[in-house]
Amino acid sequence: MELNCLGMRCPLPIIHLAKAIKNSPEIRLFSDDPATLADLSAWARMTGNSYEKINATEFVVRKS
Amino acid sequence: MGSITGNFQNESPLHPAAAEFLNDAFARGWADPSKIHQDSRKTALLLNEAKELISGHLRIRMDQLTFLADPSLGYHLGISGMINSVTKLYYGATDRSEVFAIANSNDAQVLPSDLNGYINYPSARINDLLAWQSINGETGIIARPPLDFSGKVFADCTVDPGLNPLPTNWSSALWDSRSWQGPAGLGVFALADPSSWRNPMPHNDNSISTTSFSVPLAIASAVALDHFLKDFERDQISLQARNAKIRNFLLTEIGDVDIAGSLHQTVPHLLSFSILYTDAQLLVNELDSSGFSVDSGSACSSANMEPSHVLAAMGILTHGNIRMTLRAEQTEATVDKFLQELKYLVERVRA
Repeated sequence: MELNCLGMRCPLPIIHLAKAIKNSPEIRLFSDDPATLADLSAWARMTGNSYEKINATEFVVRKS
Repeated sequence: MGSITGNFQNESPLHPAAAEFLNDAFARGWADPSKIHQDSRKTALLLNEAKELISGHLRIRMDQLTFLADPSLGYHLGISGMINSVTKLYYGATDRSEVFAIANSNDAQVLPSDLNGYINYPSARINDLLAWQSINGETGIIARPPLDFSGKVFADCTVDPGLNPLPTNWSSALWDSRSWQGPAGLGVFALADPSSWRNPMPHNDNSISTTSFSVPLAIASAVALDHFLKDFERDQISLQARNAKIRNFLLTEIGDVDIAGSLHQTVPHLLSFSILYTDAQLLVNELDSSGFSVDSGSACSSANMEPSHVLAAMGILTHGNIRMTLRAEQTEATVDKFLQELKYLVERVRA
């Protein structure tokens, strides 16, 4: 599933991601907010999920 | 003057003892302590006492101490003054932006932080320099001494009123009078051995700083430091208990909160935490309208829209961040009211 959060500021990308991952085991997240990379890493640690950075604005997030 | 109760922001009020001193100090004239008149000698004597008091508390020698009118100048003096053509500068990813600015124009390497805010110091050559931060001003994390670092060490103690001992291998060090509720506009700079230092500023003689500092501010700063440390000794156990209580509330009553640094590795009066799925700007504004002022390191609450580099370097959540400064004057009831308000707000925002 793809989730387009381009143009959104924190904490919106992470809030949308948390909602989306309830219904999908893998999310392709697009976000250009400067806080997203740092927050994805903290979110993954806090929630036990995992993520992979594809490029500066694209991330693959997996539910564990 | 209004009460500061309910204010959890970082800006500390001037210590009452220093305020009392300054009240009549500015009304008096202050002679130039470097002249030979009687009044000048009196001023020099008072200034000497202030130096003695401050150097005693900061555990340095009196002859190592220099007052600075601008504390941030001390970064340039303490770092650039220790750098020669073969020096590599190492600095922590959680260091202050003043250090980053100097690193930008030098051969420098940033050292990553772990999740606890600790930096692993490399082994180095004797000419290398480490910018070591004694206590982090955002998280309150107390650094471990860089004892294995074999180069020179600049100690950034600008938020440390002498609580974390200077590492034995320090070369230059900087304090800011504000960290002990002294007046703003006064820095304390020290060199362990002036022969290993080269003045990076335009200069004519051997003096470390050519800018003059305010004598009454220096004396008021000594008065403030003396009182601050006594107050701290009296209050630190109750502050730590309050800090522990807030941490416990955040984890059990609010949940999904990322706290920077554990209780036992941080100073008791500083606390930084991030609340998952919340907007810091909204929290700060709503708390403010309920009478509670806090700081934040989140992007949305900063002027440049960038998240705190300290939180990002540690891997702590950067959104929904709140920074609190605890003071003995804040009552238990104020803290309880703040926590209930925060809980209510978070429930509303997350719903």
